[in-house]
Parts: sequence; structure tokens; C-alpha cells
Amino acid sequence: MLIVSNLDVPLQTNEKSILELENIFKEYSDRKNKTHTKLIVINNLNLTIKKSEFVTIVGPSGCGKSTILNLVAGLDQVFDGQINVDDKPISISPSTDRVVVFQEGALFPWLTVYGNIEFGLAIAKVPKDKRKEKVMKLIEMVQLSNFTNAYIHQLSGGMKQRVAIARALALNPKILLMDEPFAALDVQTRKMLYSHILRIHEETKKTILFVTHNIHEAVALGDRVIIMSPKLANIKKQIIVNIPRPRSIDHPLVESITRAILSESDESFVNGGVAEIEPDNVDINNNVIPTVR
Amino acid sequence: MLKLKVQKRVADKKINLDGFLNTILFIAVFIGIWQLAYLSGIWPKVSLPPPIMVIESFYDLIQDNTLLISIGMTLYRLLIGFAASVVIGVGVGLAMVRFTGFGKTMSSFAIGLQSFPSVAWIPFAILFIGLNDAGILFVVIMSSVFSVMMSAYSGIRNIPTIYLKAAKNMGAKGFSLFRYLMIPAATPALIIGIKQAWSFAWHALVGAEILMAASIGIGHILLVGREFLLMDQIIASMITIFALGMIFDKVIFAKLEDKVREKWGLRQEQDIENR
Repeated sequence: MLIVSNLDVPLQTNEKSILELENIFKEYSDRKNKTHTKLIVINNLNLTIKKSEFVTIVGPSGCGKSTILNLVAGLDQVFDGQINVDDKPISISPSTDRVVVFQEGALFPWLTVYGNIEFGLAIAKVPKDKRKEKVMKLIEMVQLSNFTNAYIHQLSGGMKQRVAIARALALNPKILLMDEPFAALDVQTRKMLYSHILRIHEETKKTILFVTHNIHEAVALGDRVIIMSPKLANIKKQIIVNIPRPRSIDHPLVESITRAILSESDESFVNGGVAEIEPDNVDINNNVIPTVR
Repeated sequence: MLKLKVQKRVADKKINLDGFLNTILFIAVFIGIWQLAYLSGIWPKVSLPPPIMVIESFYDLIQDNTLLISIGMTLYRLLIGFAASVVIGVGVGLAMVRFTGFGKTMSSFAIGLQSFPSVAWIPFAILFIGLNDAGILFVVIMSSVFSVMMSAYSGIRNIPTIYLKAAKNMGAKGFSLFRYLMIPAATPALIIGIKQAWSFAWHALVGAEILMAASIGIGHILLVGREFLLMDQIIASMITIFALGMIFDKVIFAKLEDKVREKWGLRQEQDIENR
């Protein structure tokens, strides 16, 4: 049984691609040092994501995974190469096509749960009754009906991220971008949110690009895991996760694939004994890797 | 959670009642000392009238509508001057955020002008604008606008980048970014600046009304009291000024601030309750 397959060629499928990254090159220049150093974070990266695909990007700090997300989101507009959403360059596609769920603390404390989810719709000047219908549906989807009028500080960490997901979905983006959304949560809460996001993906069939440094998380959620390497400043390996959907986060394959990735990885990924850590806590950042950013 | 809230409400009410009784007691003691000082005969009646005379003066001022009209006129001036300060202050504050060079220079000037004594504007205002309502408004605005300006400037500049990122990502730009993000996100800082601006405006207004010989207004009653040696009237208007200041500061602004803090989860008891 082949559970882990290395992909050297792009996926061959009939489904339409929704996001294309072509020859992406990105560098940061460090002006603080006297010696004007330039740091290449992404070097000639190519990536294609299909409609409704759940893609996870995993890698240690400084591998450029968050940079990719920022570029796709349009939060950082300085780069070389071409990014297309639905065959249109991102410079002419509205940012609301690619909405980000941030790690934490991006919800607005002056608004209620309802107000936060409504935010993007209010900006888009959607009529009030339509807004209400949509927001209520989303609140139900993230199972926070009892907290419709609660303020953000009254919610737990897990609830906050569910609001953040609902807020992003309210704009009906073509791609949902998630930037380590569960990194600040405890294991128990994270597990619960995995089920939520898997269910939401099942229900909405959204294309999701999910950045994390947790291999277990990447395998549990993604159809395809993209492993980034800071050395290459590029994709090191792509892995198809053939666990059928609807998926259970406790599926035995999740753990075996996670272990396989860990054992296969070179020293930049796994360093002395990390593989022995509980899969839940597998955290690439535990390794001492010189941080580049 | 709900039970805790109810318990807190009850506790609040009890504290309020205790506070109220304390205030009554304090006022009673104060009036007692005042009456004793009057009875001691150290001061002539014209310098220190007994409490009852001040109450009579109040009665007279209310009877012929002077007090009501004066309060109305004074508050009218205050409101206009204050509203102008808020609009100008927020506007200039935004411009300061938008144009960094201007913001840096202006903020150092504004800090200096914030502590500039309001009465010191009066001679300038008389010659520049004249002995009229517009002159009084000028003094009020100059005394309060810089507080609003600085709070708007620093309030907006201190908005966490992640809020701006998130809002822009959800399609906010230009006016909608200002209306839906910057103003609400800067509100806690703005409220503090506005509260300060209100008390600065209030100080400046009473001073300007006395010194710029306003024909109507609380400052005018004070001035008339001095000219006709009516100490009872002077004390009555002082009490009015005190009461008005108290009502605005403690009731309106304190409530507003409390509401914002509660909404934002900045209230300390609330934080402890949630832990």
C-alpha cells in the first residue's frame, strides 16, 4: 500500500486549477547591518492548487511558508514572478478573493461576534437583510449561536478562531488562506478545531491554503502536504495524503504518514530525537535551526 | 457567569448607596462649618454670607429665569466650541497620521499648546476677533483642540498592524478603512482625549465669559456678582459651575469610558471574572 508518494511532476487531474504560482522569487534586504545583506526567502517556486483542494504548507521557521501566504493574500506586493487566481493575475483580482485567517488577535474587540463576521460584508455594502441571513448561517456553521452578541474578550481561544474562520468565509473567498491559525491553542482545543475545519471544508468545498509548522496538523488536514526547506528556499517535497474524506483526525494513517515524513527528513528537519515526541506535539521549531527572519 | 453578574450588580448598588450617604454626610459637615464660620463674625456678611442667603440667591436666580438662561447660553457655547474642537482635532489628527513629516512637527507643537494656559489666549482673541461670542469660541477651541488632536494622532498610530492588515484584506480602503477601522479602533484613546478636551473647554469658557464680558452666561452672573458685591450670587454661580462640571465629568464621560472599556474587555474586574 502506497501511502506516501513523492511528486516530481505536478498533479495530473481533471479538476481546474484555481491558484498558480509561477517562478516566484522573493528576497528581503537587511538594512540594519552595515553590510547590506540580501536574504533569498523564496527562490523560483512553482505551485498549482486545484479547486476545492486542501493544501497544507509545512516547514520550519524562516522557510518562507508565511511569505508565500502573504504574497498570495496581497499583503506583500513586492516580488518577482506571477501569481494567478482563476487565471487572472492577483494585481487585478480583489483581495476579498483571498481572505486570511490570522494566527490570533486579528478579531476586532469593539465588535461582537456578529459584528466581526459582518465586517467584510458591511464594507462591501451588502444590504442589511442579506448580511443578517449570511452571518447567522455562518454563526450556525461554526456552532457559536449562543455567542452571537458576545464580545471577543468573552470568548475562549478556540471560539475566537472559529469566529475568525466565519469572518473570512463571509466574503465567500475563492481561496481561504490560513496562517498558523491554531498555533497558539492547546492540543485539546486544536483537535476540536481540526474537526471543525474538516467539516467546514466538507460543507463549503472551499480551496484552502493552510500554513503550519506542525507536521501532524498538516497531514491530518491536507489533501496534499507541501514541505518547504529554508536551505532550498523552495519546495522540498510534496506528499499526497490519501486518507478518504470525510476524514477522522484520529485515522491511523495520519500518524504513520507523520512518522514517515519525520523519519525521511534530513537533519534540517529532524534533529536528534524529535521523532520520539508525541505526534501531537511534533513541532519543527523545536529544532535549533538558525532563524533566517 | 450570569449569577456572578447579578451578584456584582447587587454589590455595585450597595457601594453606590454607601457612597451616596457619604456624600450627603460630607455636604452636611461642610455646610455646618460654613455656618459656624459665618456665626464667628470674623468675616463681614458681604464677604461671607450664610448658607441660607446663597440658597435664597439660588431661588431668586431661578425665579427670574436668569440661571436657566445663563446655563443654557453657557452650555450652548460649550457644545459648539467643543464640537468644533472634536471635528477639527480629529481631522488634523488624521492629516498628521497621513503626512508623517507634518505629524512629527505638529505633534511637538500640539504638546506645547496643550498645556498653554487658556486665559493667555484671551487678549489675543479680543484683538484678533473681538469682544463677542466668536472670540469666546476661539478661546474655547484653542484650549481644547490640541488634546483631541493628540489623542486622535496617537490613537490611530497605535492601532495594531494586524487590525489594519485584516481590514485591508477584507476589502477596506480609503474612507471605509477610516470609518470601520481607524475610528472604532482608536476610540479608547480618543475618549480619554475628548474627556480632557471637555474639561479644558469648560475651564476656558468660564474664564472667557468673565474676562470677555459676555452679556449672558454663568461667567456673566459671576462678573455681575463681583461688580455689585453680591457674594451670595457669586457662590451660587460657583456651585452651579461645580455641579455642571461634575455632571459631565462623572456622569456622562465616566459612563462612556466605562462602556468602552467593558466592550473592549479592558475592565479589570471583568478580566478577573473571566479567568
